[in-house]
Amino acid sequence: MNNFPKLSLTLLAAVIALAACGKKEEPAAPAAAVESAAAQACGKVTVANMNWQSAEVLAHIDKLILSSGYGCEVELVPGDTMPTLTAMMEKGRPDVAPEAWINAVRQPLDAAVKQGRLHYAAESLKDGGVEGWWIPKYLADAHPEIKTIDDALKQPKLFPAPEVKDKGGIYNCPAGWNCQLTTGNAFKAWGAADKGFVLVNTGSAAGLDGSIAKAYERRQGWLGYYWAPTSILGKYQMVKLDAGVPFDKENFDACNSKADCDNPVKTDWAKAVVFTVVTDRFKQAGGPAFDYLSKRNWGNDTVNQLLAWMSDNQATGEDGARHFLKTQPEIWTTWVSPEVAEKVKASL
Amino acid sequence: MRTLAEFPTLGTEQLSQLRRFIDGGFRSFSREYGETLERLFDPLREFLIFSERLMTQSPWPVVIGAIALIAWLASRSWKITLGTVLTLLAIGYFGMWIDTMKTISMIFVCTVVALALGLPIGIAMSRWDRLQRAINPVLDVMQTMPSFVYLIPVVMLLGIGRVAGMIAVVVYAIPPVIRFTNLGIRLVSKDLLEAADAFGASMWQKMFKVQLPLALPTIMAGINQTIMLSLAMVVIASMIGVQGLGQPVLKAIANQYFTMGMFNGLAIVGIAIIFDRVSQTYGKRLQKHLEVVHG
Repeated sequence: MNNFPKLSLTLLAAVIALAACGKKEEPAAPAAAVESAAAQACGKVTVANMNWQSAEVLAHIDKLILSSGYGCEVELVPGDTMPTLTAMMEKGRPDVAPEAWINAVRQPLDAAVKQGRLHYAAESLKDGGVEGWWIPKYLADAHPEIKTIDDALKQPKLFPAPEVKDKGGIYNCPAGWNCQLTTGNAFKAWGAADKGFVLVNTGSAAGLDGSIAKAYERRQGWLGYYWAPTSILGKYQMVKLDAGVPFDKENFDACNSKADCDNPVKTDWAKAVVFTVVTDRFKQAGGPAFDYLSKRNWGNDTVNQLLAWMSDNQATGEDGARHFLKTQPEIWTTWVSPEVAEKVKASL
Repeated sequence: MRTLAEFPTLGTEQLSQLRRFIDGGFRSFSREYGETLERLFDPLREFLIFSERLMTQSPWPVVIGAIALIAWLASRSWKITLGTVLTLLAIGYFGMWIDTMKTISMIFVCTVVALALGLPIGIAMSRWDRLQRAINPVLDVMQTMPSFVYLIPVVMLLGIGRVAGMIAVVVYAIPPVIRFTNLGIRLVSKDLLEAADAFGASMWQKMFKVQLPLALPTIMAGINQTIMLSLAMVVIASMIGVQGLGQPVLKAIANQYFTMGMFNGLAIVGIAIIFDRVSQTYGKRLQKHLEVVHG
């Protein structure tokens, strides 16, 4: 009697090991046979859980839908744009990057897609990522004359720098991010230094967010780089300043996005294209699960709203995903077939 | 059985209410007193900026000369002084001079603040057992609480930049100097104190003529640890906008620039070794000197 649980555990382990060793087509293990045909096709999927909120909640939505709707065995692995995409290109793992901001890695990624190692699925954010310089909404309401970056630069007193007296401050993007270069070059291009501004180092996303939160709580002036969709922009309403000029791709690529750019030009930021990227293995093996990933996309308003809800409740990505699946079926049921939708609803 | 399998927790509703309550409380506190607190730290901010200007804008030979002189006065060792100069020259040659100076100035101010606060607290702890019992758990929290946890409220109150960074560094680095000061004074032999009593020494005389001098080597070890810990915080501090060697390290981490990360990391190590050797030999010299007198 005493031995029974141990024995059954050993047996179970053996079955699992055998199942793992067996080829995908063979319905070897009895446990797997219970699952539908889709499950066998889908199998084990690793989904990159990027370290920012919108990607995290999307990864969890994918996890919930893929596992309950398509019977995949989903594992979330932590990730960040560069490391994850590099790993996908080089090692074919993880299988899915739900929210890949591909502007910065366009060249190697396109090459990998051409070679058939990776594939683009849906454009996750149909509005794309928006970058630029923002000011708090209360400030924009109080100063309706500030519409463009040039307008804001006329009034350094409204945006006091934290450590330099009598200067305006422009909060820069975190250290090492590509936007640190583009913001630094925009700072030069707009001649902000001559207009009484300094560039404020924020160090990390936490530092940048903290500076916004602090300004907002005290209704102080704030001017700096940010991007959407983000929970900060859902939580603290900000207004994006018009660059006043269109996106100048040629100069942006050649100079403004580089560290040693001697003559940066005034240019808007490009709309960042945000795709779901999957590996070739998953595209072949995923079947209907891949179809789901090539349909699944949402707008910035939806995302900002959801992220704001998450911030208010300090919800995790999984909480956010469940909240979204429960409250906004009109959006996600268009991504999947009615049968799958039923399965997902039943699992919530 | 279910009650055993699942841990009884506060409901999601109550939990999120609790979170919102604490967050809201902190937010209104920051709205109410943030300005005042910030004003309070203005002198320190000025000091930090002044010290950074001094280090970055003085001509480099003067700075190296000054640091070498300090190293020599503290250690009286040619080896250490020469090593210091060579390390600084190498750092400068590899283009990290300005960042290194910013970091050294930051560490210098942080150490001064940590000592100014830590020594009196340590002395007070050694005198009153009840105070020691009260402060010890606080020190444990300061040393183990992940820095980012208290960085968020500090940034909300004081904004990003040097002052917030300095507070983060001091919180992390101050425990050793407090603990070692307390310990050093407590370790002074009771016989010596009795002897001092017998000679009719007052409390202050005992403190400054007997206890502190005898505890000095231990206190120096604490100071050494404080310096080392504040250097370890350079990268964390740079995550809230402190300039210096931490910034390029962050850049390297974000972009997998191996060489860049290595160089700047090694520069931090270089400064650490200079500080460590100089302060340690100074501590040892004190000990030797004391042994001659009392041995």
